[in-house]
Amino acid sequence: MLTSLMPWLLAVAILLAVVGALRRARLWLRGRASNVNVWAGIRAMPKRYLVDLHHVVERDRYISNTHVATAGGFVLASVLAILLHGFAWESKLLAWLLLAASGAMLIGAVRVAKRRQSPPDRLSKGAWMRLPKSLMVFAISFLILSLPAVGLLPEGFGGVVLAALLTAGIVWGLAEMFIGMTWGGPMKHAFAGALHLAFHRRSERFGGGRSTGLKALNFDDAQAPLGVEKPTDFTWNQLLGFDACVQCGRCEAVCPAFAAGQPLNPKKLIQDMVVGLAGGSDASYSGSPYPGKPLGEHKGGPFQAIVAREGKGLLDADTLWACTTCRACVEECPMMIEHVDAIVDMRRHLTLERGQTPNKGAEVLENLIATDNPGGFNPGSRMNWAADLNLPILADVKRTDVLLWLGDGAFDMRNQRTLRAFIKVLRSAGVQFAVLGNEERDSGDVARRLGDEATFQHLAKLNIHTLQQYSFRSIVTCDPHSFHVLKNEYPELGGEYVVYHHTTFMERLYRDKQLSLKDWVGGRVTYHDPCYLGRYNGEYDAPRQLLDALGIDRVEMTRSGFRSRCCGGGGGAPITDIPGKQRIPDMRMDDIKASGANVVAVGCPQCTAMLEGVVEPRPQVLDIAELVAQSLIEEETRA
Amino acid sequence: MSQFDAMFQPIQIGKLTIRNRVVSTAHAEVYATDGGMTTERYVQYYEEKAKGGCGLCICGGSSVVSIDSPQAWWSSVNLATDRIIPHFQNLADAVHKHGGKIMIQITHMGRRSRWDGYHWSTLLSPSGIREPVHRSTCKTIEDEEITRIIGDYAQAARRAKEGGLDGVELSAVHQHLIDQFWSPRVNKRTDQWGGSFENRMRFGLEVLKAVRAEVGNDFVVGMRICGDEFHPDGLTHDDMKQIAAYYDATGMVDFFGVIGSGCDTHNTLANVIPNMSYPPEPFLHLAAGIKEVVKAPVIHAQNIKDPNQAQRILEGGYVDMVGMTRAHIADPHIIAKIKMGQVDQIRQCVGANYCIDRQYQGLDVLCIQNAATSREYMGLPHIIEKTQGSLRKIVIVGGGPAGMEAARVAAERGHSVTLFEAKEQLGGQISIAAKAPQRDQMAGITRWYQLELARLNVDVRLETYANEEAIKDLNPDIVILAVGGRPFLEQVPEWGAEEGLVVSSWDVLDGKVAPGKNVLVYDTICEFSGMSVADFLSEKGAKVELVTDDIKPGAAVGGTTFPTYYRSLYAKEVIMTSDLALHKVYREGDQLVAVLENEYTGQMEERVVDQVVVENGVRPDEALYYALKHQSLNKGQIDVDALYAIKPQPCLSESTQGAAFLLFRIGDCTAPRNTHAAIYDALRLCKDF
Repeated sequence: MLTSLMPWLLAVAILLAVVGALRRARLWLRGRASNVNVWAGIRAMPKRYLVDLHHVVERDRYISNTHVATAGGFVLASVLAILLHGFAWESKLLAWLLLAASGAMLIGAVRVAKRRQSPPDRLSKGAWMRLPKSLMVFAISFLILSLPAVGLLPEGFGGVVLAALLTAGIVWGLAEMFIGMTWGGPMKHAFAGALHLAFHRRSERFGGGRSTGLKALNFDDAQAPLGVEKPTDFTWNQLLGFDACVQCGRCEAVCPAFAAGQPLNPKKLIQDMVVGLAGGSDASYSGSPYPGKPLGEHKGGPFQAIVAREGKGLLDADTLWACTTCRACVEECPMMIEHVDAIVDMRRHLTLERGQTPNKGAEVLENLIATDNPGGFNPGSRMNWAADLNLPILADVKRTDVLLWLGDGAFDMRNQRTLRAFIKVLRSAGVQFAVLGNEERDSGDVARRLGDEATFQHLAKLNIHTLQQYSFRSIVTCDPHSFHVLKNEYPELGGEYVVYHHTTFMERLYRDKQLSLKDWVGGRVTYHDPCYLGRYNGEYDAPRQLLDALGIDRVEMTRSGFRSRCCGGGGGAPITDIPGKQRIPDMRMDDIKASGANVVAVGCPQCTAMLEGVVEPRPQVLDIAELVAQSLIEEETRA
Repeated sequence: MSQFDAMFQPIQIGKLTIRNRVVSTAHAEVYATDGGMTTERYVQYYEEKAKGGCGLCICGGSSVVSIDSPQAWWSSVNLATDRIIPHFQNLADAVHKHGGKIMIQITHMGRRSRWDGYHWSTLLSPSGIREPVHRSTCKTIEDEEITRIIGDYAQAARRAKEGGLDGVELSAVHQHLIDQFWSPRVNKRTDQWGGSFENRMRFGLEVLKAVRAEVGNDFVVGMRICGDEFHPDGLTHDDMKQIAAYYDATGMVDFFGVIGSGCDTHNTLANVIPNMSYPPEPFLHLAAGIKEVVKAPVIHAQNIKDPNQAQRILEGGYVDMVGMTRAHIADPHIIAKIKMGQVDQIRQCVGANYCIDRQYQGLDVLCIQNAATSREYMGLPHIIEKTQGSLRKIVIVGGGPAGMEAARVAAERGHSVTLFEAKEQLGGQISIAAKAPQRDQMAGITRWYQLELARLNVDVRLETYANEEAIKDLNPDIVILAVGGRPFLEQVPEWGAEEGLVVSSWDVLDGKVAPGKNVLVYDTICEFSGMSVADFLSEKGAKVELVTDDIKPGAAVGGTTFPTYYRSLYAKEVIMTSDLALHKVYREGDQLVAVLENEYTGQMEERVVDQVVVENGVRPDEALYYALKHQSLNKGQIDVDALYAIKPQPCLSESTQGAAFLLFRIGDCTAPRNTHAAIYDALRLCKDF
């Protein structure tokens, strides 16, 4: 009976799955066009799935092994089941293989079930609690189904009872695994995930690459919306990407805003987009909510504004403004979903179309428009701090080896110490350098993160125009935000430069034996990775090598390197200042204290400001340039 | 905008860019040696300010341009010889290395000097009128001398330029030769150098022209003037506006430094360097008035000590730059600390005027609270480095200036420090001194130490009397006694201190004894304490006679401070009597009879009063020292050779294992001296712990 039923069951399941897939695809295709190479993507997809994605999953050994067994077992078992039971191939070998595949899947499924016994908070519950059972039922059903075929059990063993049970099991398994995959069950991640990897809008990320610059709005296209108001304003492959979410909550576990009790949870945000994609409310979402925001109050649809102009929409604006754009979520996402892109897309709408940048946001943007710097300082006073340094100005010297990009830290008394220290290092190493002086403008970083793409592009174009006047080999800056924008976001607007962060540059000077350094004495030091240097640009080593070169007793925080926790200063978050239960820099300072260090070495004016804002007593905050400058062996200049 | 942004706007003076708006204005340092050369001490004193971030230093108050303006009395800088040029190069290099700028004040002092020494110069003045503050007589200047001195100014300016300095400031303030010509009070001439406004201006103008001709337009030449002489027959504010506008219109003056008050009497002199009895920036309005009529930038210094105050003045646009000269003497790193966000760590000038009062006595300028100032050349640090040697347990007994400084320095070195203070607050005698009217700012010294000791985690145990056991219980490696002393009333048994016939100034100021109604204050010391207690009592309504056996009450109080005491005492009708020694006190009914004996005739006289307050100085408190002395490894001895050479005490290299410890005593518990001596003792002893 089962033998004759199997082809039908499989056929119906596959048919329903195909219908579901078409339905789902129609939802994605409501999104705007995106420039992707479809065929190349499909060709590259298996490698992206098996290599790139696996690399991320593998950070959790337990679940990566589990996933290999379960997913591998499932895919193989499904193919074999279709061949053996759908097309009624007769092959003992294939039957053995099906037995092995479903066995592997069963092992995986048991491990999934074990993880689900007392699941960590970050995991969604609901349907996801059913999944290990479905996996086990699927695996066991095909395992038992295979036993007679390989001769381990006599044909007809178990009789009608077993046959009925197996039929029920297979129906359950197929429903979850085949139909659920495209109709919106937990297995949707496999189907949407595979396509998402194929059509990812940042294909550079695969194969160990990096793509972190925000994508420019095209203001010449009168049809293009200014940012994302409703789900269908996303590109279709962004929508597809949201659907790939496996609700593992790794993003939630690393999100600084979530930890601080601000109303943001990256996982929930992606799930809200999924709700918006099809229409509905968040009542059935089974993970951690946005802190302070109960479930069931928000709803939306593909053509409705995500942030409602009145009342409640899919989510509230403060959720979007709580993000520090630290990319910890993106870094941790095994499905390589781009949370930050989505958040900035939605911020663009709020800022450009509605003028609703909260708190100090509007003032900062006005300052940027009026004075070219976020603090609203007299633009002619950018060089005040260096009145006694006689810095060569590019307008005078026209050409130089190194253009030192000062950043808006030039207006900040604390950062001026870092700049002075770095200049001391440059001079000690005999580097030929110059500055733009008062011609320099804000890089546009804050404007862009606050969604003011117009001001960003305006500032970027002015800076690019200025830089065109002069000749230099490279740009060096002490500000990772300027560094990122100049290096990764100006090229799209026509400015291509060789850009170094000052730690990278100093490390090169040290390696080229242009710095004579003595050991730095002052205690135990830990290094705080700035998001825009580390996760955004992959520079984790140079700062540490410099500290080691200074003979420093260096300790690492639990969260360091690509897992470094944000200081809370990025993405305009200190400006929009969304309330939470605690402050992000306080949490980071706790990390620093826990390392036992009495000095935290930093490489970013924003991190410095945030960490120094933590009440004392606390470890001292010193830029690596300051540590290096303090350790220079200086020749006595006075006779 | 940052809190102090107005202070950190660079400013252009002539062709010179100055990094911020803060100036260390010209003051007489009394450091120039070798015949007025800017030698090592001088250079390092200014280098420290530049290192600390000061924008502009104008050095060499009253540096002389001519051989007949005596230099040696105040060891001022001598620009009358080319020998100064290489010394200036050292000075300029040292300041420029840290991004600072340096100029020098140049002058001929005319009659404002002394003639009775060195070259026995004949002093010069427009009309030969005597100067009262220096008791100096002078001759009437002749045309030939005027011509020679104008040339001397030009040569002096050339030497400053060739030495690499950034500019010169012509002193036309404090009644020097230029403003002696300006002021009709002392210029009674009827020739081309006196009489009309133009004639009185002529000497200054000729000096300016000659200087400009010598140094050209690229070298900064400024002028320091007063904003009002405060003499009925002197130059008024309107006169000074006219004068400033006149010179400004020549286009030859790059900046004006403006201060309030003339200073050729004791009373006006006290205005010039306002002590703690003055309000903040008392004469800013005069500088602001000058700024109204000139195009050149205006600098003003007088009682500007606090960054908030400086910011407020600059933000208000009253003047272009603020002089914070005593503020830099107290803490040459004041600017660096503002920039570091360490405003709480600034050692703020309290206006005790120990610096300037020493200068008027021809002694080197020192700070009452910062013993490292001007001793940089000896190796005394403003920033104490952590020790690389072993960390020790240090117990300090006594929270007066010596004990507080010892605790600060030892804690900065990284040691574990416990400080015992018997009273309920730190400060020792500073707290008593601060009780007097107009002397409350003395407590600022203690305020800084309190903040620093808290920052450095010193274990301060107030209201804890440390005896031998309490000290040894802490197992110290080093014990420092700084317990001070007690009023020395038992020296003359006839005073009847034991019977309670006399009380001490401490008892009165501390409030232990209520002020009497009719009080005799007997002061043998003639410093601040006697004047303070008399002032305190009269403020409380007592009728007070202040008697001394010395030559005058307050004789040992410096030239900028006794006038402010006198103003207060005379206003309250305190009778000041000198040359009488307190012979005996006895009771008669409910009154006390004080028997006074004339120092010179032996004649006795009596006063019937209800309270006799005696100020006879301090007797060291030695009991604890002798209890510990023989248990200590070094028998309590300080190696004076090492101490005076600013070297580590040799006994520090001995091991202090077990119960043994090193014992030192500093401050008044050794011998009664002053606040500076106590702090200096502590710094030079403890900096090598």
